[in-house]
Amino acid sequence: MNIQSVYSENSNIDEVIGEIKRQLQDFDTRLLIYFASSNYDPVQISKAIGDSFSTAQTFGCTTAGEITSGKMLKNSLVAMAFNAEAIGDMKIEVIENVKANCDIKPAFGSFEQHFNTSMAELDFSQYVGIILVDGLSGCEEKIMDRIGDKTNIIFIGGSAGDDLKFTQTHVFANGKTYTDAAILAVIKPAAGFDIIKTQSFNALNKQLVATKVNAEAREIIEFNNLPAVQAYSEALGINKEEADNYFMSNPVGLIYGDEIFVRSPQRLDGTNMIFYCNILEGMDVSLLESTDIVSDTKQAVADKVKELGKISGLIDFHCILRTLELEQKGQTIDYGKIFKDIPTVGFSTYGEEYVGHINQTSTILVFK
Amino acid sequence: MAGKIKKLIDTIVEKRSGGNSTIATLTKSKMVMKGINPEKFDGNSPDDPAVIEKLVALAKELNVNI
Repeated sequence: MNIQSVYSENSNIDEVIGEIKRQLQDFDTRLLIYFASSNYDPVQISKAIGDSFSTAQTFGCTTAGEITSGKMLKNSLVAMAFNAEAIGDMKIEVIENVKANCDIKPAFGSFEQHFNTSMAELDFSQYVGIILVDGLSGCEEKIMDRIGDKTNIIFIGGSAGDDLKFTQTHVFANGKTYTDAAILAVIKPAAGFDIIKTQSFNALNKQLVATKVNAEAREIIEFNNLPAVQAYSEALGINKEEADNYFMSNPVGLIYGDEIFVRSPQRLDGTNMIFYCNILEGMDVSLLESTDIVSDTKQAVADKVKELGKISGLIDFHCILRTLELEQKGQTIDYGKIFKDIPTVGFSTYGEEYVGHINQTSTILVFK
Repeated sequence: MAGKIKKLIDTIVEKRSGGNSTIATLTKSKMVMKGINPEKFDGNSPDDPAVIEKLVALAKELNVNI
């Protein structure tokens, strides 16, 4: 096996490192991607991983829950190790001060120098990008938009979490710890890659047009020229006083073909609706109704296994709202089991990245 | 007048994708995220100046000459 997933539930960082190293003792790790509970000291965990895997490249982030083969975990560290046969080439860059300037140029310049080709020309079928962003920065849309303008390669990833404390999230690269930052990694998987994007919703035939918004604040002031909560409630056929009870099961989505890009309401501010990602003025979104996360994800993974023959490893960037729904329904064990036969790593995110910033979705990077 | 928006969308997608269907689909998804849904426009769509202005800006962002 050229890809291995490992984990530790130990609360002591030295013990965590010991357990991870023991599990990888016969493995020539060249790249280690890891996701750690925010309950570990972020500076210490990143340094310890960097020091312990000094001949490998390492990157990761803090989480709101972790995923490994067969299990959803809390207060753990999960990691995926790749050897030289798994990774043809890679380059990791950090963008700091994302809230203030969100400048991707230096990172893209570095990628171009490393791969000796422009990011506009880099072969999208051979290379894939991974992005991990400070999940409280609120700038994911801007970063993803700029990335999408400059390259055709797909960047997939998630927003770092902090176990629902909503105080500070961190990203890690090669032993260092950052906040207000994003990690960009461009990888050439040696055996190729694929993407699974799955969200458990059907589109209802009810449209809402964002007619007045504050996009920077991810705030909808009016849908269909009515106060946002009024239009949302009328579309659902409910009283507006109970609207927030429906946010998780009935978010809205941008629809393109069979694709749904989910935008999830977070809370009300008077009659305004605050979302977990932005909706631009003039956007036409559809009301959605939830379906079953476990059966939908199981089918999506099974379809991909059937298509590819086998999956050598996968990284699941899994929305915290999906995790909360699974917890409410007592389905976390069933969700974990979906990945029991596949080397898997993942985490509960504060938002998922694929083409743009999206919610209530699993964006999954599949290694062939 | 009608149809200019559809033509602009097709031009942007064709030039950005170079005829590759995967990149064409990806480009259309990016347009959706930027606020222009290609499925909402056809040859009969009126030439709304606000949408045309948005498309010109979008083409520039995607480094496409139109």
